[in-house]
Amino acid sequence: MKRLSLRGWILFLFFTTLFSYGQKKEHFYNVDKEVTVKGSIKEIKMEPLYKNTSPFLIVILEEKKTKNTFNVEISPVWFFDHDFHQGESLVIRGSLYQSEDSAQNIIAREVQFSGQILLLRDKHGFPNWRGGKGQTRRKWRRKKDFS
Amino acid sequence: MKRHILILFLVSMFTTSLLADTLSLSFSHNATDNLFQNLYAESDQLSALGIYLDKNFSGFSLFTEGNYSYLYENTNLAYYTQDLGINTLYTVDEKSAFYFSLAGRGAFYQSDYSDFNYLSINFFGAFKSYLSQTSILKSNYTFEYKNYKSSVFDHISHHLMLSLDKYFQTKTTLKGEISWGYKNFLHPYLSEEPRGTETNSYSSRGKGRHNPYRDRQNQFIAQTQSQGQGIQVISLSGLIAQGLGSRVGLQLTGTRQWSLSGKNPFTYIEEFYAVENPSYDRFSWEGFRIGAQLSVLIPWNLQGKLRYTMDNKKFPGIYSLNLEGDSLGMLRNDERRQFEVNVEKNFSKFSVSVSYFYADNDSNDPLFNWDGHFFSAGIQWNTSFGERK
Repeated sequence: MKRLSLRGWILFLFFTTLFSYGQKKEHFYNVDKEVTVKGSIKEIKMEPLYKNTSPFLIVILEEKKTKNTFNVEISPVWFFDHDFHQGESLVIRGSLYQSEDSAQNIIAREVQFSGQILLLRDKHGFPNWRGGKGQTRRKWRRKKDFS
Repeated sequence: MKRHILILFLVSMFTTSLLADTLSLSFSHNATDNLFQNLYAESDQLSALGIYLDKNFSGFSLFTEGNYSYLYENTNLAYYTQDLGINTLYTVDEKSAFYFSLAGRGAFYQSDYSDFNYLSINFFGAFKSYLSQTSILKSNYTFEYKNYKSSVFDHISHHLMLSLDKYFQTKTTLKGEISWGYKNFLHPYLSEEPRGTETNSYSSRGKGRHNPYRDRQNQFIAQTQSQGQGIQVISLSGLIAQGLGSRVGLQLTGTRQWSLSGKNPFTYIEEFYAVENPSYDRFSWEGFRIGAQLSVLIPWNLQGKLRYTMDNKKFPGIYSLNLEGDSLGMLRNDERRQFEVNVEKNFSKFSVSVSYFYADNDSNDPLFNWDGHFFSAGIQWNTSFGERK
C-alpha cells in the first residue's frame, strides 16, 4: 500500500508538471493573424533572430497571386532531410506580423512542398522542432535505419 | 527490482521534465510474420514506447531519449535504449553553418540478446553551405565507439560524406553523394575453432522448435583469422527528385557501394526486424541499391508515401551455407525487393502513422530465402515548454 501511494504521488507530480508548463510562457505567435500563402522561394538565408537560440532559416517567399514578398521564419537551421532551393514552390501557413521597416513577416507553422508537410509549430505557435542530428521530431525507428 | 527501476525511471523523468524545453512521447505497435527474417518465418508483435526531452541553453541543446521495446512472443528479446547528448549549431555567414553533436547511448537487451548490450559514444559533425541559391554543398563526419557486453562486437567506426545538389527551374533536383566508411572490430578473434556458444542462440533458433539451424547458430562468431583488419567501404549515390506542384513529389535514387578492404569477421550474419545487429550494417556489404518514392498529399492533409527499393548485396567474408551448415563455397549474395506504403497525419499536438512493408529476399544461402510482411501503427505526442517565439 505504501509503495502504491509512493508510485501514485510520483505519477501525479510527473503529469501535473507536464501539463502545467507551457501555459505560463510569453506569446509571440499571434494565432489571430494566421495566413496561408502560396508562392515560390526568392532567397534563402540563415540569421540569428532570437537571443540564446540557434540561427534561423529564413525564406524570402514571393506570393504567386500578388507578387508580394514575405520573410518567412522557418525554424532554427537544423539540417532537414529536405533542403530548400530558390524557385521551389511552397505553401506556408503561419502568423503574419509587420516589422519596424514595414516588411511583411510570417512565423511559419506549417510548410507544404512536393507532397510533404513540415509541421514546425503546433496551432498555438509552440515550436515542434528538436535537436539530435537536426531533424524535426524523429518518428519511430524503422528497420531500414540499420542498413 | 523491476519496481525500483520503474520508480527510478519515473523520478528521473519527472526531475528532467522540470527543466525541459520540449518533450515528446511516442508509442508504436508493430506486427510481422517473419521476425527473424529467415526461412523459418516466425510471427511476433512488438510494442515500443519512447520519451524524448531536450533543454536549450546558450546556443546548445541537451537532449535525452529513452525507448523500450517489448515483444509479445519472444519476450526475452525485449530491450531498452537510452540516449543522452548535446548539440549545437554555428553559422559562418548567411549561407553556411556547422552542426555538432556528441551523444552517448546504452542498449540493454533481455537475456536472449544480452551479448548485444552496449554502451557507445557518437560524435557527429556536419557542414552545410549554399554555394548558390539553387545549389547546396553538404558534408558530415561521424565517429562511433561501441563497447559490447560480448567484446567480440566491440568496434570503432568513421564515416565521411560529401554531397552536392542542384535545383532547376523545372522543379527538378539532382544530387550526387560520395561516402567513405571505416569500421574496425577491436578484438574479433576469439579462438582458433568455431565457438560453441551456450550463452546465446540469437535469432535462427527462434523459440527452438524443430529448427535444423540449432547447430549452425553456434558458428555465429566463429570465423578465425590470424590478424585484425578494418573494413573499408566507399559508395556513390545519385538522386533525381521532381516536384509536381506542392502536393506530389517523385524521387529516384541509386547507390553503388564497394568494399575497399577488410571483410566481416563473422561466419555468418543476420538482420532482425527492428533490432540493431552489429554484424549487419552499412559496412557489411557491397553492391547496389535503387529505389523510387512517390510522396502525395491526399485530402485532409494525409501524407502518403509509396516506396519501392531493390538491392543486390554481396557480403565479403561471408560464405553461403547449406541447411546443414556446410559451406557452399561462394560468397553470400542477396537480392531483395521491398515495397512500403506509409500514411501519416499530423495534428496540432500529435502525429499518427500507419505503414505496411513487404520484403522478398532471394539469397544463395537457403536460410536467407525469405519474405515477410510488416505492419506498423504509431502515435507521437509532442509538447513544448519553451517560449512561443
